Amino acid sequence: MEEESGEELGLDRSTPKDFHFYHMDLYDSEDRLQLFPEENTRRRKEVVQAERANESTGAGDGKAQRDLQEEVEELVHLYGLEDDHELGDEFVENMPRMGVSEYPPYGMKRRDPAREQRDWRLSGEATEAEDLGFGGWGSAGQCQDLREVYRYTHGRASEEYECYVIPEEEDEEEAADVFCVTCKTPIRAFQKVFDEHKEHEVIPLNEALESAKDEIHKNMYKLEKQIIDMENFANHLEEVFITVEENFGKQEQNFESHYNEILETLAQKYEEKIQALGEKKKEKVEALYEQLVSCGENLDTCKELMETIEEMCHEEKVDFIKDAVAMADRLGKFLKTKTDVEISTQPDFEDQTLDFSDVEQLMGSINTIPAPSAPVINPQTPNSATGSSVRVCWSLYSDDTVESYQLSYRPVQDSSPGKDQAAPSPPIIKTKEIRSCEEAVLICWESGNLNPVDSYTVELTQAESPEASGVTESVVGIPTCESLVQLQPGQSYVIYVRALNTGGPSTRSEPATVHTIGSYFRLNKDTCHPWLTISQDGLTILRSERSTPTKEPPPSDTHFTRCVAVMGNLIPVRGHHYWEVEVDEHLDYTVGVAFEDVPKQEDLGANCLSWCMRHTFASSRHKYEFLHNRTTPDIRITVPPKKIGILLDYENSKLSFFNVELSQHLYTFSCQPHKFVHPCFSLEKPGCLKIRNGISMPKHVTFY
Amino acid sequence: MALKQISSNKCFGGLQKVFEHDSVELNCKMKFAVYLPPKAETGKCPALYWLSGLTGTEQNFISKSGYHQAASEHGLVVIAPDTSPCGCNIKGEDESWDFGTGAGFYVDATEDPWKTNYRMYSYITEELPKLINANFPVDPQRTSIFGHSMGGHGALICALKNPGKYKSVSAFAPICNPLLCRWGKKAFSGYLGTDQSKWKAYDATHLVKSYPGSQLDILIDQGKDDQFLLDGQLLPDNFIAACTEKKIPVVFRLQDGYDHSYYFIATFITDHIRHHAKYLNA
Repeated sequence: MEEESGEELGLDRSTPKDFHFYHMDLYDSEDRLQLFPEENTRRRKEVVQAERANESTGAGDGKAQRDLQEEVEELVHLYGLEDDHELGDEFVENMPRMGVSEYPPYGMKRRDPAREQRDWRLSGEATEAEDLGFGGWGSAGQCQDLREVYRYTHGRASEEYECYVIPEEEDEEEAADVFCVTCKTPIRAFQKVFDEHKEHEVIPLNEALESAKDEIHKNMYKLEKQIIDMENFANHLEEVFITVEENFGKQEQNFESHYNEILETLAQKYEEKIQALGEKKKEKVEALYEQLVSCGENLDTCKELMETIEEMCHEEKVDFIKDAVAMADRLGKFLKTKTDVEISTQPDFEDQTLDFSDVEQLMGSINTIPAPSAPVINPQTPNSATGSSVRVCWSLYSDDTVESYQLSYRPVQDSSPGKDQAAPSPPIIKTKEIRSCEEAVLICWESGNLNPVDSYTVELTQAESPEASGVTESVVGIPTCESLVQLQPGQSYVIYVRALNTGGPSTRSEPATVHTIGSYFRLNKDTCHPWLTISQDGLTILRSERSTPTKEPPPSDTHFTRCVAVMGNLIPVRGHHYWEVEVDEHLDYTVGVAFEDVPKQEDLGANCLSWCMRHTFASSRHKYEFLHNRTTPDIRITVPPKKIGILLDYENSKLSFFNVELSQHLYTFSCQPHKFVHPCFSLEKPGCLKIRNGISMPKHVTFY
Repeated sequence: MALKQISSNKCFGGLQKVFEHDSVELNCKMKFAVYLPPKAETGKCPALYWLSGLTGTEQNFISKSGYHQAASEHGLVVIAPDTSPCGCNIKGEDESWDFGTGAGFYVDATEDPWKTNYRMYSYITEELPKLINANFPVDPQRTSIFGHSMGGHGALICALKNPGKYKSVSAFAPICNPLLCRWGKKAFSGYLGTDQSKWKAYDATHLVKSYPGSQLDILIDQGKDDQFLLDGQLLPDNFIAACTEKKIPVVFRLQDGYDHSYYFIATFITDHIRHHAKYLNA
């Protein structure tokens, strides 16, 4: 629609809802500076286009509304304009200042181009400005502009502006100050007394302004809301559209397969029937043929007899009598044999009844949702059962539509309590290989039986109440000789294991105690370099002073061969793990973590499968390196730590080192262990390292 | 002492404010910035003092370092004063950027014309803490100090000269041995005169050698590409050697690629605040 300016024209001439806007260009005046009109209207157009562009994210449904919006904005602008005009002295104080700020979203956008319009118009008229000091517009200058415009609007300044005036009310030169509700037009007060407004209801103009503004405001809000609603609706429609496509696809497929099935069945039936008919025909034809053949034989015999008889008739009396008697016998015999002149087969075929019942059934089932296929129950996973519950998982075919599942169970009794089998012996827990952390424990055991065992059960009791025979938790159905059990932090537990077979469960194994404080691990002797010895308790590493053989041990996959190192067995559970290592100041050592498959022929920290802190003491100087992939940051530490705290934080992917005695933080790696890592230790010179674990984190460590 | 609030902005749930007051030590109006974490609304918090470097004011730390989040999380009140007295109209105070205005070097000057106003050491260690303790919800027993460059020097000497006063100290690219670098020589000769024995009292490396006192845990970050390091103005090696000798715990990190700017500070400020929080919130 045409965006038209000329706001000052329409205001007091026509009804609020129904403005006519005229292009200013239409009206020529020597006082108008020709330079600007197009620009300004263009600018306003641009602003509007921009606004339109911004608002056209919706599905175009708001088009009608937007047009309306344009008109409304015009209106707003005009009213805004109107506000700051002097309609008469008595209205100065009543001027609703909020009028200006009421319209920020729309009015503000329009102000600038409009202001410019006023500006150019004003350039010749600046001297005439009065200072009303209208704060609403933000500057007296702007108010001046408005007043000037207003003067033009109302043609007060001079007759030369009469050309702006719409012919309807040529004589109107004074300001309107009341509003006729009936005619919906502003009029002069005195007009009330005269003319057509005599009987009409009249209210003061500013009241009318207020109510008109309110209405517009309300409408604006409504329009805004409607835009949002429409946009949401459009989005929703899009989604529905996509869903329709999908559903159609499914239905199409379904129908196609059904239909094909039916066609195949029909084709098959056709073949069968045709074949049957063919057989029948063959039968009939063969029967007839036989009859024909026997008929032919009969005929031949008859003919032969006939000929013989004829010959006979021409013979001499004596021969004739002889033959005739014989012939008569023959004939008599022959004629006695019945000739079958009945046609053995009917030429007609029976009517075939075609059985389409199964096809009908197929057709009937086209519209029904096929029953789903049977779900497949997953085999029971270990640790998924307790003494009184079991966890069942199953999977379904993705093509099936399933509304619900029905689960039913029944206890299964052994047909006969393993008549020959005795219950197994109790297993033996490998207490030295228990690994724990604050949240779990990994136990493993020896079967304790020569014969195979069906499964194992782990039973845990909280150590506070050893007398209570009630088992607090049991884990059943464990297929292997190890189990990872979830625990509460800061508790002590007593653990037993039983073996199970068809003969029943074994008695409890010897108990093992677990404390869920800190992380507890032992050193893994399998990984130990031959030059290192590990103490009985698995927590001290010793590299002796004995002269080490010059040859390095042959490479191996399990134990370290180049780096004189050993690894610990940390429980494979994410979370925090903290342990400490006591070292000697003058010792060359490396401590840290590494993956299980770290190359054993390399130094710790020389690859990307290990992170560690290395201390080297040479020429009375301590050197500290934090190695990963052979790189280290440049860090100097002035007080050599005697006890190093190591914090492994899987959650935040960090490995931190501390000087425990000083509560001093040394360094933190950001590492992302994608698998589980284990503590590693190495001694570059003879000496010993003592590990302390199963301790909770000191407070200063918690800051990291 | 009357405090006049200059500005207040909400940041990470707390308030970053700037105040002005009449300083007795410095005989002029001084500004300082203070950050009050959300925890300060309900109770007293530990105080952490930041000393800015050459040409700094109370503004650069609060606008460039990005420390607010860590301070808010750990519940620390952070105070950042100006680096020298200002507006004293002393002749020559604006002649160079590394002496006079913006370069107080945290000493108490003994030479004219500086001795009346340039008493930053006393201001930082006495007047300012008294003012803060009286006007803000801070725990006077839990204070720490840190700074950058000249401010790092300031933090180290304040801690070393006042054993037990600060729970922890840390620094970014500090001037560790002003006696032996050009900056230090220029400043000390101007403020303290030619008697070098007076200078030693404000040199961290020297002070460490005779540090008797309680355990300190010092964290120092130094940019490897810092041009002042290469120019020999900072001399951390001397300080580290002295600390190693005296068994003062220091972790010194040489950060590859980083320079002397606030970008470097912003990168590691969280580590430093955590370092202090560990002791202040213990």
